Amino acid sequence: MSSLVGFLSLVFAIGINFYLFLSRYIFKFQKHKFNLFVRFSSLLTLLSFFSLMYAYVVSDFSNYNVFQNSHSNKPLIYKISGTWGNHEGSMLLWLSILSIFSFFFSFTKNIEESFQRLTLIIQSLLHILFGLFIVFTSNPFLVNSILVNEGLGLNPILQDPGLAVHPPILYGGYVGYSIVFSIAIAGLFQDRDDEWLYVAKKWSLISWTFLTGGIALGSYWAYYELGWGGWWFWDPVENISLMPWIAGLALVHSLMMVRGEQAIKKWIVFLSILCFSLSVFGTFLVRSGILTSVHSFAADASRGIFILLIFFIVTGFGFLVFLLKEPKKSNTLNLLFINKVSAIVINNILMIIATLTILLGTIYPIIIEVLYNKRISVGGPYFNATVIPIMIPGFLLMSIAPILSWQTNKIQNSKKYVIGFFILSIMVLIQSYFLDFNTWGFIGILLGFWIIFASIIAIFSSYKVKFTIKFFQIVNPHIAHIGVGIAIIGITCSSVFQNELDFNINEGDKFNVNGKTVLFEKIETTNQINFQALRAKFLFDIEKNQSKKIEAGKNYYPVSKMITSEAGILHQWNKDIYFILGDQKNDEWFVKVLINPFVSFIWLGVIIMMYSGLIAVTRR
Amino acid sequence: MAWSDNNDVFRFNSSYKKMRRIFILTPLIVLLIICTFLLTYLLSGKDPNKPPSALLNKDVPIFESSSLYNSMEIIKTIDIKNKKTLINFFASWCSPCKIEHPLFFEIRKKYPELYLLGFNHKDPTADAKEYLENDGNPYDFVGVDADGLIALEFGVFGLPETYLINDDGKIIFKFMGPITKDVLKNEIEPLL
Repeated sequence: MSSLVGFLSLVFAIGINFYLFLSRYIFKFQKHKFNLFVRFSSLLTLLSFFSLMYAYVVSDFSNYNVFQNSHSNKPLIYKISGTWGNHEGSMLLWLSILSIFSFFFSFTKNIEESFQRLTLIIQSLLHILFGLFIVFTSNPFLVNSILVNEGLGLNPILQDPGLAVHPPILYGGYVGYSIVFSIAIAGLFQDRDDEWLYVAKKWSLISWTFLTGGIALGSYWAYYELGWGGWWFWDPVENISLMPWIAGLALVHSLMMVRGEQAIKKWIVFLSILCFSLSVFGTFLVRSGILTSVHSFAADASRGIFILLIFFIVTGFGFLVFLLKEPKKSNTLNLLFINKVSAIVINNILMIIATLTILLGTIYPIIIEVLYNKRISVGGPYFNATVIPIMIPGFLLMSIAPILSWQTNKIQNSKKYVIGFFILSIMVLIQSYFLDFNTWGFIGILLGFWIIFASIIAIFSSYKVKFTIKFFQIVNPHIAHIGVGIAIIGITCSSVFQNELDFNINEGDKFNVNGKTVLFEKIETTNQINFQALRAKFLFDIEKNQSKKIEAGKNYYPVSKMITSEAGILHQWNKDIYFILGDQKNDEWFVKVLINPFVSFIWLGVIIMMYSGLIAVTRR
Repeated sequence: MAWSDNNDVFRFNSSYKKMRRIFILTPLIVLLIICTFLLTYLLSGKDPNKPPSALLNKDVPIFESSSLYNSMEIIKTIDIKNKKTLINFFASWCSPCKIEHPLFFEIRKKYPELYLLGFNHKDPTADAKEYLENDGNPYDFVGVDADGLIALEFGVFGLPETYLINDDGKIIFKFMGPITKDVLKNEIEPLL
């Protein structure tokens, strides 16, 4: 029943969007009515999504999708997240988020009516494309042809609270760029007025913030669930989310130029199209099954071709309109040796080069396989050796960029920065001399601290410190950059100075980690609702009274006969101690301990960046 | 003089415009190239789960394994050198293995002369025995690969994985993931 409701409302919503699209040419509406229809179609799409979710919650196995991906004794939260833990459901989630963005955009005030309507019509076109994709190749409302009273279960690796919210938030970013795309295309038809740039800025900030959160959640999940001790692996799936993120960052920065009345419209439109194209491209690569990972639920060539077609239409349409309707009026840029405009231009160039470098590394294996029928993989070493050096000049520049002037070459208090930089360099050099010296470590730590340090100097010397909303809005760029600096320190330390210890030990043994004694208490197996847990219990630092408990182990999921690893992590502000339980051999357990310094800084930095993203939305 | 100056300016302008055209066309060209490659890839029916194997048409790796039911009974590479053999890596904890399992009975029935060798991969003995008791044992010999070293020699990616060895002891076919009726009919049977 709920499946029928879901399917009908999905189809009906697509129908309304056809109608909305045609209304540009045939049935003309009044503004009021038009917006009502947009909202109605959004609500129908949401209804469709929630009826699928309902089928999951009540474990309605007459729905084939629920049967394939759910199980009646899963905890409720994973029944809910099971809705998008599969290909069909996640595409419906995609469409629902697209609808939500259209819904909220229809409430935007102070913009020209024709512009708003055109934007929504482009959104309707996207809705139709993805809606048809769902109906014809990925229908989540198919009826199960056999009568069953139990389902096949959700991939255990996805049964994790962090991962339950990761897809909706990540899609908030990916799909959010659809509205930026639509705004930019509509903006091309609109020469009189630059108001749309402000609207685009707001929405691209929202999308970027969501994307940041989504990527961070995925990365955090990989950190504690995959049990490899790292949080970023330059996996193709990570790369395709990083590309729109960097392009989106470039977009946000070039939209800042609106404030200096120096915006290059052409470039902004190009970036907006690029961001959404990269998002659809990522969806294509993951959903077509070309990339194998936890994300590729099922490989199906027809789906791949359909979504490749969507990618081609969307991107081709975007760039074609861009080619034909290129903005006529173009501001001349006030490029000086060092002013804000030139800083932003350099930032944009670096980010685009970085994006293209990642793109090349990601599709290179596909090109090679088509041409030479050989399978190669491009991994961490390539990306580390290319992307990081490209970004370094940008990091150096961003420390002072926010205080540069739009019009002149002068930097306020330039002496302070020069002196500060020298003192800091010497301090970091001394510090790294006493620890083991590592070039990348030195560069990373210096850059990170310099960004933080320069931003703090800038805040205190250029503005009066007041605790008002306005003050936080003004210093927001500095805050964002401090977040980046903190993240850089975390990234550098956790990757360059990671320490690995291996032990072969028995229950009751004591061993030494970082000068602290650790007791391997016991091995325990327990039965949970939907899995069996094997846990090794450790007591960290037993000499102190407040010793910490750490549990590392594995989960065995009988329904899908899969084993997942569960790392035991002791979080401290300056390091994570990361326990991985290996196999048992000759009555001894293999235990790997990783010491990851300053990992918490990465997450802190990301949170600060997201905070700044949100604050920036509130500022015009 | 004035005339040639004007001409220069004109020429500069037109080449500048051409440059800009090309610049603006670049995204479309890149898009076309990328889409062509992706489409070729999709249409070529390549499956990322099925990388071109380095072992194809090479000799079977050297292995030695004891039987699941009798640790004194040993199987070595030399034992299968002169007979057509189907090698299947499986485990009781691997759910796709369960799906393909019934197909081996079909193969056994249809090709009684084919030697079916199963390798039980990283599995407690008791679990493996229970699994074969419940789902039946289609194999002529079940070798134990408790530490996964044999799988390593074969270059096994993930379970299940199936290899076909001809009577010269060469690997002539490899399949990753559960074999299906289609695979059996279109890819394995023509080789038998």
